[in-house]
Amino acid sequence: MFALYKDAGYQDVLVEEKQALFDQVTQDMRYPETLYGCYECGICVAACPSARFYDFSPRVFAQVMAREDVHTFYELLNDSVWDCSQCFSCTCCPRENNPGAIITIMREVAVNNGLASAKEALQAYSRIIFKIMSTGTQVSPDMLQPDFFPDWGQDVRDVAENLDVWRRAIPPETMHTVELAWDVSEKTRLELYMIWKLTGNLEMIENIDEGLFMILEEVMEELLEEHGYDIDDFDNILED
Amino acid sequence: MALVRNCLLPSDLLYDVPTNIWVRELDDGMVEIGMTDIAQTLAGSIIHCRPKKVGKKVKKGKSVATVESGKWVGPVRSPFAGNITERNDAVVNDATILNRSPYGEGWIVRITPADMEGDRATLVGVEEASTLYEAYMQEKDLASCIHCEGFEE
Repeated sequence: MFALYKDAGYQDVLVEEKQALFDQVTQDMRYPETLYGCYECGICVAACPSARFYDFSPRVFAQVMAREDVHTFYELLNDSVWDCSQCFSCTCCPRENNPGAIITIMREVAVNNGLASAKEALQAYSRIIFKIMSTGTQVSPDMLQPDFFPDWGQDVRDVAENLDVWRRAIPPETMHTVELAWDVSEKTRLELYMIWKLTGNLEMIENIDEGLFMILEEVMEELLEEHGYDIDDFDNILED
Repeated sequence: MALVRNCLLPSDLLYDVPTNIWVRELDDGMVEIGMTDIAQTLAGSIIHCRPKKVGKKVKKGKSVATVESGKWVGPVRSPFAGNITERNDAVVNDATILNRSPYGEGWIVRITPADMEGDRATLVGVEEASTLYEAYMQEKDLASCIHCEGFEE
């Protein structure tokens, strides 16, 4: 089978396995609206911030998918797919391709199939996933820790050391907490959790990080229990 | 005390290497559990530790506490089935104790095991743990343990 890059990695992986994952992407209901052919003009690459910093090109994704090159597809799925910042600057394409959306679908396929690359890429974000799924806010001030932001140098040390003081210096709408960016009501948190659960997002998490799934389920189902909800009684929870 | 790539492994403890947990057998039939030096290194600066409430029943392999660092979160898995009989409120108030004193002040919960003999059989002593951790760190590409200022051996 033709491969865009003759040196495409993962030669030891069966072509059937690569094809099955490729098919999952092309069978996604969003896929037909992502690719209309490629002029190879490179406008998407010129607009792409990730292309400036990584060996990454949105054009390669469009070309590989159009050529049905499952070998290079598999390599991208295990590597470059995680270099995209999902800013969708690439939608400036004159053919109205959307390489960013191809990548969205590919990432979901990587996660749904529990690929090692997905586990590795998302490992550093476990607390962000935990935060958004248990509190409704994605980031919290206490994420500013010197070992996670070494590039901030002394600044992050100063901020981390006196975080609660810095928080008190900004408007009261932030609740002055360091654990949350802002306060989200319990009702909203429970609704969000039910949405994650009913739409299969929790299963995705379970495929990627079983430990994260375990604590998330425990924390949220304890909250449901506190409010007297039965986890299987979806209608009641959503109506209340 | 054994030393593997600058990681300390006290000789009087038992270990569950895959979950990075140490176990200390207490005189009253309880077991004390906590995170290893390797676990605190992998987590980085720990900012929250939330052990479950006293009286909670726990299954083997399930979570007895949630630990959060800057961007990482994970469970502390119990190597024993049983009941949580005590929890360490000191680590709730100051989770950095887990970085500073993982084997001393940084214990997390005490459990009364339901099947002490059966569950203990799955744990290993310091010698076997040292060999397993050498391989574990190789796999995780972890060169050595990192000890923060004030680390207590």
